[in-house]
Parts: sequence; C-alpha cells; structure tokens
Amino acid sequence: MTPPHPKLRVRDVEIGHRSGRKGTYAHAVDGLSFDVAANEFIAVVGPSGCGKTTFLTAVAGLIPISGGTLELDDRRIDGPGRDRSLVFQQASLFPWRNVVQNIEFGLKAHGRLDAAGRARVAELVELVGLGGKGDKYPRELSGGMSQRVNLARALATDPELILLDEPFAALDAQTREVMQEELTRIWQADGVQAGKTAMFITHDVPEAVFLADRVLVLSRGPAHLVADIHIDLPRPRTPSMKRTPEFLAMSDRIVDLVMAQSQIGKQDQPGRRVTSDDHAGVAAG
Amino acid sequence: MTTQVSQPASPVTGPLERAVNARKGKKLTTGRLGVIGLVVVLGAWQVTASAGWVDASFASSPVGAVKALAHMIGTGELWPPLLSTLESVAYGMIITVVVGIPLGLLIGRSNTLYGLTEPLVSIMYSVPFVVFLPIIIFWFGIGAEARLVIVVWSAIFPLLINVIAGARNVDMHYLQVAKVFCAPRLLTLRSVTFPATLPFVLTGVRQSVGRALVGAIVAELFMGNAGLGYVVQTETSAFKMDDAMAAIVVIAVLAIVLTRSVAWIERRFTFWSSSV
Ligand SMILES: Nc1ncnc2c1ncn2[C@@H]1O[C@H](COP(=O)(O)OP(=O)(O)OP(=O)(O)O)[C@@H](O)[C@H]1O
Ligand SMILES: [Mg+2]
Repeated sequence: MTPPHPKLRVRDVEIGHRSGRKGTYAHAVDGLSFDVAANEFIAVVGPSGCGKTTFLTAVAGLIPISGGTLELDDRRIDGPGRDRSLVFQQASLFPWRNVVQNIEFGLKAHGRLDAAGRARVAELVELVGLGGKGDKYPRELSGGMSQRVNLARALATDPELILLDEPFAALDAQTREVMQEELTRIWQADGVQAGKTAMFITHDVPEAVFLADRVLVLSRGPAHLVADIHIDLPRPRTPSMKRTPEFLAMSDRIVDLVMAQSQIGKQDQPGRRVTSDDHAGVAAG
Repeated sequence: MTTQVSQPASPVTGPLERAVNARKGKKLTTGRLGVIGLVVVLGAWQVTASAGWVDASFASSPVGAVKALAHMIGTGELWPPLLSTLESVAYGMIITVVVGIPLGLLIGRSNTLYGLTEPLVSIMYSVPFVVFLPIIIFWFGIGAEARLVIVVWSAIFPLLINVIAGARNVDMHYLQVAKVFCAPRLLTLRSVTFPATLPFVLTGVRQSVGRALVGAIVAELFMGNAGLGYVVQTETSAFKMDDAMAAIVVIAVLAIVLTRSVAWIERRFTFWSSSV
C-alpha cells in the first residue's frame, strides 16, 4: 500500500523528551513508520500518553526528531513551514483578536493578507457557520464556535497538510457530533482545500472511522505503529452511516486494538505508572 | 450551537446578580465611609484652627486652604506651576513608555538578558529612588534635564517590572501558534507578545504615572524653580501655609485624575480579557 512518492514519509521515527531536574531522556515515539498519500485523511488513535501529540508536534516542525526520517514531499521536516498548519487541542485563539482577525492570522504571518486573502477569510467565516459573528471576540464564543474559528484559521493558509490534535475533545458529545459533520462538510465543500491531506488525532474511535480514509493505531508509549486500517466507507459520509453494521464492526475492531494497547483495567491503579511488565493480577500494594 | 433559554421576566435575581449587587452596595458604603472619614478629619482640623487651639497661620485650615485655592484660580497664579508639573510628568512618561516597554519586552523574552538584568531591576525597583537624588544632582545638576532624569528614574522601574513579568507569562500556546504559521519575529512581537502583555503593560503604566508624579514633585521640592512642588516649598518658607495646603490639594487631585485616567484606558484596551 505504499505509493512510490508519498506525501508524508515516516520512517523509524524516534522522538524523546528531556525532562526533570536531571534532564533524563525518555522516548515518546520509537520506531514509528508509515506513509501518507496525497489527499488522504488520516486518523491516529492510541492510548493516552503514548506520544500522539509529541509526534504531531514534530510533524508541525515545533520539536525535532532524534532519529529516523520525517519527510514531507521528499523534503526533510526541520521546522515549521507554510505548507502545514496545526489545529491545537485547546482553541488557543488570540483573545485580543476578533473572529475575522483570528482567522486572518496565518495569512498575515505569511504576508499574504491581500484582497484575495480577505475574500478567502470571509468565505471561511461563512463556511464554518459563523456568518455575522465575524466581529465577536473569543470570550463571547461558545466552545464549539471557538473550535470552528480554530479550524478556519488553520484552513485559511490553504496548507498542503493540516494537522489536528483532538480538536473536538473538549466539546460536549452533542456539539462534537455536529462538529464532525461540519468537518466532513467543510472538507468536502471547501473549494481550495478539497482533497488536501490531513492528520487527525483523536481518542474517539467512531470519530476516527467517520472522518478518515485510514485509521492508524499506535502502541502504548513509546509509540510505534500497531495497525493501519483502511476505511472503505463511501464519501460523502453522512451521520446515518454511523449506524450501519460495517461502521460498527470497524469501530469495534479498532476499539479492541486500542484497548489491547492501553490495558486500562482494574490493575491500573491511579497514580501508578503502567510499565510493560505490568500484568493482570498484581498484588495490591 | 448553544440554545438560548428565555428567562421568565420575574423580579427574582440570580446568585450572580445578587453577588454583583452586594459588591456594588459594599463599594457604595465604603465610598460613603470614606467621605465621612474625610469630613470628620477636616472638620476637626477646622474646629481646632477656628477655636484657636492651634495657630491657623501655623497649621493652616481647610477653609483657609480652599480660600487660597480659589484665590490662586482667580488670579491665574495656579496655572503656570500646574502646567510645569504636568509637563515634567508628560515628558517623563513619554520617555518612560518609549524606553520601558520595548526594553521590558526584550528582557522578558530573552532568558540571558533576563538573568543578567533581573537582580538589578528588582533592586532598583525596591530601593527608594530618592536616595539617588544627591547623586543625580551631582551628575546632572539641578536644571530641567536633571528633573526629567528624576521623573524617569522613579517611573521606569514599576513599568519595567510589569512588562518583564508580562512578557515572561505569555501563554506558550500563543507563541506556538505564531511559530506554526511561521510568523516573522516582528509580527510575533507586535501581534502576539505585545497584546498578550498589554494588561501587564497598562498596569505598569498606571503605577508608573503615580511614581512619575512623585518624582516630579520631589524634584521640584528640592531643586525646582517652578511647579507645584516648588509652590509648596516656597509658600511654606514664606509661612503662607494656606497657599502651601492649596498646592497640596491640587497635587492630590492631579494624582487621582492621572491614575484614574490610566485605569480607564486600561479597561478600554483590555476589554477582551475575560478577567476584566
Ligand atoms: N514537554 C514534555 N517534556 C517531557 N515529557 C513530555 C513532554 N510532553 C510529553 N511528554 C511525555 O511524552 C509522552 C507522550 O506525551 P504526548 O503528549 O505525546 O501523549 P499523547 O499521546 O498526546 O497523550 P494524550 O492522548 O493524553 O493527549 C508522555 O509520557 C509524556 O509524559
Ligand atoms: Mg495529546
């Protein structure tokens, strides 16, 4: 399944954090390999703390990798680039900028905020369903609205690769469903953006299946690839698909894979670190 | 989308409104108590002066001070010293702001610069600036430049301290957003670091305006030939206590007006901050 010229090439990637007073080095990602083809929507799932955010941050160019190869369009990623944008887990909107100004930020940073750029921003405001709210400030927005702005800000620069780190995690279940549909709608509708490559991190397996062309399951940290599952559901996707037997079977299978990795169960006492030699039935301490 | 539940138009107030009202009520009472306290002290002062328990030509009196003030306004004697003091404060604040804000941002954003200057800045902030007065006079003389130096010296450190604290407390996420979008350094400074620091900056400006006035008055008291401080000094030397008191009243009003104006600007420009 590996195309000769993938959009994103991930080979034996190793990323670590230096932390603590002694600066001990700990791997967050170790031996991660996969390819992403152009125009693919990839969802990444994996146990909490396995290194998903760390990996995405490295693809965004915010942190360096310590081993392996990480290439976008055959060029090594060695810093942030105009061809990528990142949707943060927290809305991280600038509270001193209104909706339009927040969405404009990326274009302004690229020095591309001309008439065409402004028109694009106006179009995005409508597209994410915030028409008429362009002059509102973040503190006047609901969580769902904030994430729409966050999404629009990332789309505005028309990136080759858009990275999304659990963008809907902080939302309530209802808003979340709405936002998933909105994202597929935007993805399918946005003229400039249509068919661009995306990497979407989530804890929510049905969300991953609903949105993605492929779901990658990562291992418990340090993360490597456990499974690479193609989602053959047709597009455009509709909410009713979530209730089809194929969808449910696919979700169940992935949930099982993730659960096998996280081994979240009775033996995982709060506050205790789960290590790889933890087995079920450890005597209570 | 959030659904708006329409509230019944009942006179029942919610807990939030009650809390707000309670606080407003408290504020009002505090204000009233303040006025009462002021009236009591001024009244006692007036009574002791009128009854001859203290020598009014020695201790002045509220009525005497008000009369002197009215006279100063009437003859226009008040305006030149008032303008002179305002001018010192204004020039001092311009220099303080133009130097202090960029310098503070620079120090706050660089760990090396911060490490190098932090002890110096906090020492300079903590030591009462008046101890440097003789040295400043020795270096700069007692002319207008020396007065300006004193104003800036006394005003710049509160501003620096606040701007540095603000620049160091910029939310990491904001800077990451700037980085991801490859924002040039200057844009990051202007559109991210500066606005994120603005609440701190304005707090610093408010504090330093107060200190600038103190600096101006001190300079006028000790080495001036104009200004409200100079009036207090000369009138006291001439045993014209009513006039000295009148000048002090003007200084007090000036202090309140200046600080309140900056507080108003603060609210006006950081309206987006949820903590306001
Ligand atoms: N800045 C950091 N310094 C040191 N260690 C870190 C840092 N950030 C993350 N880590 C560690 O790296 C590992 C992976 O963290 P990461 O945030 O990538 O996980 P994640 O998969 O995104 O988790 P979640 O699903 O809960 O968001 C964790 O063990 C975490 O403790
Ligand atoms: Mg994460």
